[in-house]
Amino acid sequence: MIRRAVLIVLGLIWLGPTYLLLVNASRPATSYDPASAWVPSGDFALLENFGHAVEGANLGGSLASSALYSVVSPLLGVIIGALAGYTIVVLRLRHGFWWFLLIFGGTVFPSQMMLVPLFVSYSDAGLYDTHLGLILIYTAINVPLAAFVLRNFYSGVAFSIFEAARMDGASTWRIFWRIYLPMSVSALTAVFILEFTFIWNDLVFGLTLTQTENVRPVMTAIAGLMTDVYAGTPVPVGLAAGLVVSLPTVVLFLATQRLFARGLSLGSV
Amino acid sequence: MLGRFRHGYVAPAAILVALLLYAPFVWTAYLSLTRYDGLEPPVWVGLANFGKLFSDPALLTSTRNTLIWVAGTMVLPVGLGLLVAVLSYDIKGGAWYRVPFMLPYALSGAGLAMVWSPVLSHDGIANLLLGVDTAFLQEAPHNTLAMLLVWTWQQLGVNTLLFVVGLQSIPKEPIEAARLDGASGWRLFRHVIWPLMRPLTAVVVGLALVASLKTFDIVWVLTQGGPGRNSETLAVTMYKETFVASEYGYGSAVAVLLTVVTGLASYLYLRRQVR
Amino acid sequence: MFRSRMATFGVAALVLTACGGGNTAAPQKKTELTLYNDKGAWTKFFDEMGALSKQSIGLGMKPTGYTDSAQYQAFIKASFRTNVKPDLFTWQTGGMLEEIVKQKQVADTTAVWQEAIKAGDLLQDLAPYYTIGGKQYCVPMNVAYWGMFYNKKIFDKYGLKPPQTWDDLIKAADTLKQNGVKAFYHTSVLFSFVWFEQLMAGTDPDLYDRLSTGKAKYTDPGVVQVMEKWKQLIDAGYFINPGDKTDPGDVLKNGKAAMVSFGTWFNTSMTQRDMKPGTDYDFFVIPNVNASLPKTSMIFESGPLCSLTKAADPDASMKYLKWWTTAEAQEKWASSRGDVSANPKVTIKDEALGAVTKDAGSGKYRLVNRYFEATPPAILTAALDGFSKFVTEPGTYKEVLDTIQKSADEYWSTHQ
Repeated sequence: MIRRAVLIVLGLIWLGPTYLLLVNASRPATSYDPASAWVPSGDFALLENFGHAVEGANLGGSLASSALYSVVSPLLGVIIGALAGYTIVVLRLRHGFWWFLLIFGGTVFPSQMMLVPLFVSYSDAGLYDTHLGLILIYTAINVPLAAFVLRNFYSGVAFSIFEAARMDGASTWRIFWRIYLPMSVSALTAVFILEFTFIWNDLVFGLTLTQTENVRPVMTAIAGLMTDVYAGTPVPVGLAAGLVVSLPTVVLFLATQRLFARGLSLGSV
Repeated sequence: MLGRFRHGYVAPAAILVALLLYAPFVWTAYLSLTRYDGLEPPVWVGLANFGKLFSDPALLTSTRNTLIWVAGTMVLPVGLGLLVAVLSYDIKGGAWYRVPFMLPYALSGAGLAMVWSPVLSHDGIANLLLGVDTAFLQEAPHNTLAMLLVWTWQQLGVNTLLFVVGLQSIPKEPIEAARLDGASGWRLFRHVIWPLMRPLTAVVVGLALVASLKTFDIVWVLTQGGPGRNSETLAVTMYKETFVASEYGYGSAVAVLLTVVTGLASYLYLRRQVR
Repeated sequence: MFRSRMATFGVAALVLTACGGGNTAAPQKKTELTLYNDKGAWTKFFDEMGALSKQSIGLGMKPTGYTDSAQYQAFIKASFRTNVKPDLFTWQTGGMLEEIVKQKQVADTTAVWQEAIKAGDLLQDLAPYYTIGGKQYCVPMNVAYWGMFYNKKIFDKYGLKPPQTWDDLIKAADTLKQNGVKAFYHTSVLFSFVWFEQLMAGTDPDLYDRLSTGKAKYTDPGVVQVMEKWKQLIDAGYFINPGDKTDPGDVLKNGKAAMVSFGTWFNTSMTQRDMKPGTDYDFFVIPNVNASLPKTSMIFESGPLCSLTKAADPDASMKYLKWWTTAEAQEKWASSRGDVSANPKVTIKDEALGAVTKDAGSGKYRLVNRYFEATPPAILTAALDGFSKFVTEPGTYKEVLDTIQKSADEYWSTHQ
């Protein structure tokens, strides 16, 4: 009982700012007053605000690109990373720790500093303003995270499972694909969620490595409205834009809930 | 036999990371030894940028703030995330209790700033609720602490999710055995569950360590490191010097320092936790 | 020499099939140009311009907007070294323009300027901001005059009129203070320089100009006095708290402060909030602090629209710049954003802004280049930090000036 009570209290605190977001994104654009930001407005203007935000902007192409990047790159990243983790831990790759360190090392570089060199090399390699270019960089960023999570996840799995499969004559690839990957669905999904959200909300790479509307991610079209003082965007319009573009991520959270719902049978409460 | 494909399996990961994440850094490392404005050819200056860096009083502030971020991240998003995971993982409908914590994670950085500005503003909602007249984003170090709370609001859900994955991967047998021995509640958690969830705990802490050392976005959207540089982190200093001030060489030196510190910290941590 | 192409190595090896960088074919004929800009929020307006230009000169235009100007500038500079060349791009006047002109990257627009001035499409007064070594480069993408937006209803309530002198302004601030209303807005994020440049320009515009070219020091008595004056105003309680994160548009609308100083582009914030000029808000030119100056100083901001000498189709780019200055183009550009225009023929719908533009065009004001453009980036960075510290702790002004001067010394020691 205490556990539920603590969760509910914490949850309510967490919902406070979410409430502010909803209330103010739904408020008619011209009636925003920060002094009474928490008072709900009688009129529901969320869609109107969002419509106002994207007026004239061609979001169709960007939405499709964003969806492409945020699904394909995490998928690739998760599989490549999981394979690396599996090789290091289960196949006991020689110098595995150092391989792991090499891969995880990809996370230590500040991404802001990568922009200019990446732009220069992308334009030389013909990758600038291509879907492939963005998929590559997003995948590369995902790999270390996936490798880390899956490496550690597999390290907790009994080695006897692998041995038994080998005894049955399964190839190492088959064991990975048929046994280890399915076994780690919850870990893979958690990583996928993280990566999806990162890519969907990414601005820096999307801005620097693309140019045409059909290749640019959707965030690049929205962000200016929310931050640029020259735009003069009323707060409810900016919030509505932020809220609506977050919806795919929220849907992903809710759709994957089931996978994390299986608790251990510890027989409590 | 077994080993034939081993390197082949690890190669895609290693190659992607090396070419797309390591290679760009070579350029940064080179620039840190030059004076460069982005246009004229870089002028070699040896270690001068590092000399300047270590005598720059701003480095002290940035380092202090970065350390607050690292320590704070371990306590709040990670610690609280663990609490929420442990409280919710084995109760009926636990996943639904976690929804409020996941929602903020969907919000982009610019959206985050727009939601929290009216709260942390002088004359804002936090002033009203707490009955104090403080401009939460103005004075150091409590502007960093205020941003840390915003960060906690956004990041807690992901940490919880990873902890839950860790909790779910624990085999049932040892727990049932401990139960038969009469362990329950805190003792069961402390002596049986906690050691068994260590692999994923190491992931959460490792990721949080790297991310907190590189803290940038949230500071940039809320205070841009100010006022008067008092909420700058190392990554913000790096960004400002490189892009805003066009001092690419000096900014790169900060980047190299930050990378070395992050790399070293991760190495020391991983060596203990992962090997 | 060690080149930035290091990383290329990797990427190219990775994508063997990707066609390498040899896109240096003969100049193509373009029918649609790309316009890179750091005003991501203006995409809609740029798109409208693209449609109009396609109609009238058969040359379309698509914007590529950035949202962070520092990152944008780094990107444009880097693009000079690559085969990704913007057909058109926005930039900053002052040192930033000089820097890229020195690299012989920017196309000379002297002919466009001469013709436009003759046709009455551009003012001679604007030319100096675009002139380097006797030649003109780029054309004005936008112009903005800085002054004071004020809440008309509050002014009316307390019987206040737009001030003619500095003393009037302070009297108005006192009246507001007696009635519990904050007179002025200021902030510690990004726009922390606004009151500094305004007080400098209204006190000693020559000193301001010398300061931006490194011929005067931030520790000079004239500058110190300006900071003391600024401190007095803050100490007198005229300003809202700099930690107030409310959008300035909402500050003015909700009467949190009665006056907000910004460029004429702030008008967009007003119209976006359904504020009616003349009844809800209005605009006045800020009087000089020093009444003995011959002309009222007005902060002026202009963003250039440029093209590169090595653009894919230099003729098309030049043709576009020329079209951009015409009354037809500028009419659309100004009216869609509710802002003013560089073209004096354009009628500005907003009365107060129209009057300012007209007066500025007739030489009534001394135009002073905005601090943001006038100051080299390295010094600007230190100054913005310094002023943000100062507005939070006004007592630190001496220390703040010392810090800014330190980075100025360092900058000028390696530049000229």
